[in-house]
Amino acid sequence: MSVHFVIATARKDLRRRLADPAALLIWLALPLAIGSLLMLINSGDGGAPRGRLLVVDEDRSFVSGLIAGVPTRGELAELFDVVHVERDEGRRLIDAGEATALLVLPAGLQGAFAGKGNAEIRLGTNPAHRILPSIIEETLEIVVDSAVYTERLIADAALRFADLRLGDPTASSTGPDERLAELIQRVDLRLRELGKKVLAPPVLSVELTPAPDAGPSGGGSAVPDVGKAFLPSMIFLSVLFIAQGMSGDTWNEKRLGTLHRAATSPPSMAAFLAGKLLAGTSIATLVAIVGVAAGIVLFDLSPAQAPLAVLWVAFSGCVMLIYFVLLQCFASSQRAGDMLSNIVLFPVLMLGGSFFPLEMMPDWMAEIGRWTPNGAALVRLGEILDAQPDFPAMGVAALAIGIPAAIAFALATRRLSGRFLVS
Amino acid sequence: MIEVEEIRKRYGDLIAVDGVSFVAGEGTVFGLLGPNGAGKSTTIGCISGLLAPSSGRIRVCGHDVIREARTARACIGVVPQELALYEDLNATANLSYWGAAYGMRGRELERRVGEVLELTGLADRAREAVKKLSGGMKRRLNFGCGIVHRPRVLLLDEPTVGVDPQSRVRLLDMVREQASAGTCVLYTTHYMEEAQELCDRLAIMDHGRILAAGTLEELRGLLGERDLLRLSGEFEPERTRNGVEALGDAEVVSIDSGTMLIAAGAASRRLPAIFEAVADTGGRVDETTLNRPNLESLFIKLTGRELRE
Repeated sequence: MSVHFVIATARKDLRRRLADPAALLIWLALPLAIGSLLMLINSGDGGAPRGRLLVVDEDRSFVSGLIAGVPTRGELAELFDVVHVERDEGRRLIDAGEATALLVLPAGLQGAFAGKGNAEIRLGTNPAHRILPSIIEETLEIVVDSAVYTERLIADAALRFADLRLGDPTASSTGPDERLAELIQRVDLRLRELGKKVLAPPVLSVELTPAPDAGPSGGGSAVPDVGKAFLPSMIFLSVLFIAQGMSGDTWNEKRLGTLHRAATSPPSMAAFLAGKLLAGTSIATLVAIVGVAAGIVLFDLSPAQAPLAVLWVAFSGCVMLIYFVLLQCFASSQRAGDMLSNIVLFPVLMLGGSFFPLEMMPDWMAEIGRWTPNGAALVRLGEILDAQPDFPAMGVAALAIGIPAAIAFALATRRLSGRFLVS
Repeated sequence: MIEVEEIRKRYGDLIAVDGVSFVAGEGTVFGLLGPNGAGKSTTIGCISGLLAPSSGRIRVCGHDVIREARTARACIGVVPQELALYEDLNATANLSYWGAAYGMRGRELERRVGEVLELTGLADRAREAVKKLSGGMKRRLNFGCGIVHRPRVLLLDEPTVGVDPQSRVRLLDMVREQASAGTCVLYTTHYMEEAQELCDRLAIMDHGRILAAGTLEELRGLLGERDLLRLSGEFEPERTRNGVEALGDAEVVSIDSGTMLIAAGAASRRLPAIFEAVADTGGRVDETTLNRPNLESLFIKLTGRELRE
């Protein structure tokens, strides 16, 4: 095979592509637009998630009211819908997964606050939700801690305030305003005393622990970074569009008469086809470079993995192009070729994780997707981008998609110099 | 340079080329003249290696086009009937690519591309996309792509179809220049005038066969310097044929109830006698056309129909 002719053919095809930059941009921009759109759809509307908090208030006291009222105020109110229910109803709803958490404030809570016995606040959470139950837990801990400190410092005043507010018939006969003023003064004095010797507020430290690896399976598990998850898919979306688009050029060459001229020149049809593949691979490489660079900038991907990722995409792009060229060669006309390649393209895109990441698919679909050529290649790209390349698996994938591609190349060459040429 | 021996090309039941043989030498223009569908393009396709003949043998520059395909192809240049150009590239890029296909590169390729651009009169439009060139310019560039690698054998398949007169003259001049430089040119056409003007040797083809071959003089000799007379009117075929041929030195090539073709010596002077013979046999002449001996009349004599039918 004449390497010189292969390179000349590739250069010629690249020049032809550059002569029509709009088409080239569409190949590059269309997947980017689709990917961005899907990313936006899958990352929600950008607002905070909203949960449903069930509250069983069996104490119906001032203290239980305070605790139950916490999630209805401030920023927490934007996160939770608080619903008061009976214990049985609450249990049923949380068991059915229809709420984020169930908070049970038992009878005697206020008494326990005043040092009269014990009471246990119970919080049940929905394991299918990750973030909102944690917020409830943290909030509740803070509330309970606050209650403990309050009890130690101003329990008496607080209880009297509660009595006053609830209209306790055993309370003093003094007028409510006077008693309220007295309480406020007492609390104020107590806080002033504390203020003189107050310690610095406790140092809060936040420890971020990475979420446990959800594994390769889908099943609706949450994706930590939607953009990062979409990156390999977007790269392959673009590569597949390029492969499908460039495969139709065999028909253009036939229509232009240049395929006939090539067939009468000394280099083999294999060299001619190899040149076309080299051109397609070059464009796929460009896409890979842009995509991986974006990943490094936007998602902190490891630059050390970039060369391997680019090589893998280039190889995969070449393979996809061969498959599509073979389809075109066996079509009866350019129109039929375009239809056939489109019929193959879209299911392969969908199943192979090039539209929606495999991680976002149902398990059974993701499993099928991994057996498609682009799916097999995409999984390996994801590993490379995660800085966890599995070289034996890459080798297997390369053979699994490469050997059929070599056979497809031989068949396409034979077809191009035979019936395709003279039909 | 080109040796074709008894080639046949069959597509199922259709025999496109049936036992064609000829030899074309260095520095000559060999013409294949025949109507559309005569088998000219199929013959060229077999010689260029585009089609494999069903049987027979073809050698180009001493190399078998099947067994030594690569070597044989290296000395062939092809100018196909349809344009074979990359419309979105410019003339230089087209010529460079096809030069590269024949192993040319670097300065040599660059120099040769410049020469071909001058030769084809496209030097000042060399950087324009082909799609912006006129039809005649594209034809010239198409020719240029066939000669950029200095082929020893040039195959031209009806290169002047649909070309304006000015570009046609230019193309024919370029063909002559190639032959003068020692190239063996095989030229197919259905234009009789082109064949007469350009070709040193000719083969007349129809239905996949060569009906006659030789120099122009040799082919004219086949007509015996007889004019070709075409009469339209009403005839009684058998009676009229006998009546006309009874005049002597007049051969009825074909006849039906409406038209009659007669090959006759000095036909213009014998018209009254011919009209009288027709009338005596119950016929009537409405229209008369007289052709001097040429390839067209030879083709009509050989096939009973006109070249452009």
